[in-house]
Amino acid sequence: MQFIQILAFGLLLGGVYALLASGVTLIFGVLDVVNVAQGAFLVFSALFTWQIWDLFGFEPLLLIPLNGLLMGLLGWAIYRGMLVRVAPQGPGMTVLLMFGIALILEGILNLWFGNKFKSVTPSYYLSSFNFGDIVLPMPQLISGILAFITLGLIYAYLRFSWAGRALRASAQNKEGAALVGISQRSAASLAFAIGAATAGVGGVLLAIMYPIFPATQYDWISRLLGIVVLGGFGSIPGAITGAMILGVTEAFANTYLPQWSSLFFYGAILLILLFRPQGLMGTKTREDVVA
Amino acid sequence: MIEKLKKPSAFVPLALLAVVAVIPFVLPDSQYEEAILITCFLFVIMASGWNLISGLAGYVSLGHSVYLGIGMYTGAILGKLWGVDAMWLMPLGALMAALVAMVIGFIVLRTRSHAFVIITIAVLLSFQLLAANLKPLTGGADGIVVPPPSWAFELGNTPYYYIFFVLMLLTIALSAFVMNSRLGAGLVAIRNDEGKAASIGINTTLYKVTAYTLSAIPFGAAGAVYGQYLSFVNPLGAFAILTSVYLVLAALIGGRATLWGPVIGGFIVAIANEVSTVVAGGVSARVLIMGLVLVLTVMFMPAGLLPTISNRIKRNKESKSAVKFIDQAAIAKQNDDVQIDNIIARSKSASSYAGPILEVKGIVKRFGGVTAVNNVDLTVERGSITGLIGPNGSGKTTLFNCMTGTFRPDSGQVLLDGVDITGDQVWTRAHEGLGRTFQITRLFKSMTVLDNLVAPLEKTSARQMVAGRYSGDEVDRAREVLDFMGLGQFEKQNAAALSFGQQKLVELAQILMLRPSIILLDEPASGINPTLIGKLASVIKRLNDAGTTVLIVEHNIPLVLSLCDTVHVLAAGEILLSGTPDEVRNDPQVIEAYLGPDHLLEADNV
Repeated sequence: MQFIQILAFGLLLGGVYALLASGVTLIFGVLDVVNVAQGAFLVFSALFTWQIWDLFGFEPLLLIPLNGLLMGLLGWAIYRGMLVRVAPQGPGMTVLLMFGIALILEGILNLWFGNKFKSVTPSYYLSSFNFGDIVLPMPQLISGILAFITLGLIYAYLRFSWAGRALRASAQNKEGAALVGISQRSAASLAFAIGAATAGVGGVLLAIMYPIFPATQYDWISRLLGIVVLGGFGSIPGAITGAMILGVTEAFANTYLPQWSSLFFYGAILLILLFRPQGLMGTKTREDVVA
Repeated sequence: MIEKLKKPSAFVPLALLAVVAVIPFVLPDSQYEEAILITCFLFVIMASGWNLISGLAGYVSLGHSVYLGIGMYTGAILGKLWGVDAMWLMPLGALMAALVAMVIGFIVLRTRSHAFVIITIAVLLSFQLLAANLKPLTGGADGIVVPPPSWAFELGNTPYYYIFFVLMLLTIALSAFVMNSRLGAGLVAIRNDEGKAASIGINTTLYKVTAYTLSAIPFGAAGAVYGQYLSFVNPLGAFAILTSVYLVLAALIGGRATLWGPVIGGFIVAIANEVSTVVAGGVSARVLIMGLVLVLTVMFMPAGLLPTISNRIKRNKESKSAVKFIDQAAIAKQNDDVQIDNIIARSKSASSYAGPILEVKGIVKRFGGVTAVNNVDLTVERGSITGLIGPNGSGKTTLFNCMTGTFRPDSGQVLLDGVDITGDQVWTRAHEGLGRTFQITRLFKSMTVLDNLVAPLEKTSARQMVAGRYSGDEVDRAREVLDFMGLGQFEKQNAAALSFGQQKLVELAQILMLRPSIILLDEPASGINPTLIGKLASVIKRLNDAGTTVLIVEHNIPLVLSLCDTVHVLAAGEILLSGTPDEVRNDPQVIEAYLGPDHLLEADNV
């Protein structure tokens, strides 16, 4: 029974990771940018949640749409104001730009909140959900379910809307998409906004699950990027698979060998890359005709 | 690069370094200045090391301070265990860092991907966790207190000052050595276009892993001493991500891929950091400031100080020298006087194998549900000019890519001189005598035409990697090949300045430097003007006369039929027909494959 409980817990955790990592992989797929600032976006949103909750004390989950929107706008502005200028210089420079932005956000948050853990503790913080013998902590259950719902909405948007189709087209072939009338600048702005918005939503979910402080952005970004590397760059199914692997690994490791849990995951990544350099679901792209 | 060192401008930094060397003697009570300069030296050491992989090869590492931490722990643990001063442990620190880098490099640098930058962050955090959890060895989160050095207390930090100073000079020397070597040239080629680099014989995996390993060595050596200098080593301090930020910033501000850029940048960042600590205080403010500087540098001065300045000087100079770019006549001229046989002849060309030079047996390649190439057998006879034609989508390029190693076929074999090369790396094929050009040229655009020609490597060897960039007879051979192609006057131009057609000729010239026994040309005539097509045809004939086998994939049917001895026609992923140009020209099946089944009927209706 404990096995199933840990597994369920891991899958819920994986759902949250999947939401966050799909933002990173979407941005990479459409823009060819490794968004190392996703962890900072996430922590920013989480601490913003704490601030509002601390000031007004209402249900933090109500902030999900607002935070999603705010981070989406921030992402859009970062793309239009900065990334678009740096993008022609290639992935090496864009990653440095995003790293700089992450540091700026961390610095601002440090000055604002200080280097202390902040915890959002709504009424259900310590309660749990009992399903037969299986006991799941309420915050994890709520976050996991909401993450899956958001992920489903994003998936439906990408799958069924015109804009979503344009994004998928751009991810596959930028020149081709531009030729059939998809503005690459708009597609990239949209992708970056959606990617950042997942961090906005995810930040609220994390805020009710974990204590947060600014420098935890490094833990988060390395987890998220690890998921994306594991699943294969640019592949959303890959990101979801990678996230589930991380969630379950962490859940089990936390039960049996708590201090080693992250190391297990990084070790697993290196091991998988040894045999599949492109990640689990990544494909080798054709390079010979690229000018 | 070599010429640069001989210029007087190289003496400026050397003179400044000499001044820095005597500071502890000239300035009494200079403990504070010494401490700041030690930080400067450390930053230079790290930025110059990082530059080898991230500047030259273009693989950005955001977690490179992990190697400083590995050095620090090596120094602290062994120093305590053996009771020796940390300075004697520098080689071991360097060795540990190199070993870890080699393993990680082998895992993440084999393919060309973004996994590298990400893994570098994860590796840094993993080591932080390792250090915090391996309590018996590392003292856990509390860290290790390192006993003071055995030298007289009155000496203060001055011995450290010279240790780090010498280490800095060694790192700069290492960096200069790499930049002037074939290894350095290969790394720059990898940064420009990795796939292309492999196709001209550069073992990209070996080069990248070597550069990554070398880049870790200065970190490991410096770390071993740095732990004792700080007298304390703990996980968060040793594996600090902020250290990585500083060193990336230092290299970026000074100028990546230059020798002195990271040196200047190291001093600037270390001093700016000290100032911001004094003025702005705590870590939070510094994180914010460093983030701002990083963003501003990337946006407004991405090349860094040194290249920005030298480009400005160069632009002024260039505007004064006039160049003829469109000297078509000179290019089109037949250079019958140039003897190429010796320049391109393959020394081991007399391979004992008498059969066909290139054979393809039962190649199948599928993409998802589409079978692009279905069980194709094809032979290229030694000394022939063989054509491969077929309508769009018939699988020509896929087959071509299976032969050159860009794709692995799902089944079937590729034999070169009777030897199975199906599983060989792209660069190995280049060493074995298979040269290829690209449909859309892939020259190293930021390099000169001559540098492009000197880049190809006929083999992989350690001796060659450490050899000077222009050592050997490559430069002479390159000039002769350029003369043969009628491109001699362009040798100092950047490849990007040439027209597309000229670039195609340069790319062919580049392949000739490999002394290939067979050249695979991917649509050589597409997108170039008729004069150059004529030139190309005559070059191909001359090469063939000199003993080189040629395989052409082409849509220009008149060119193929006039040049080739044998033509293979591919349709719907299968060989439709192989024969002489005359047989192909008159075959109704071929006409049908190109024009569809109804064209004759329609013609009758007219």
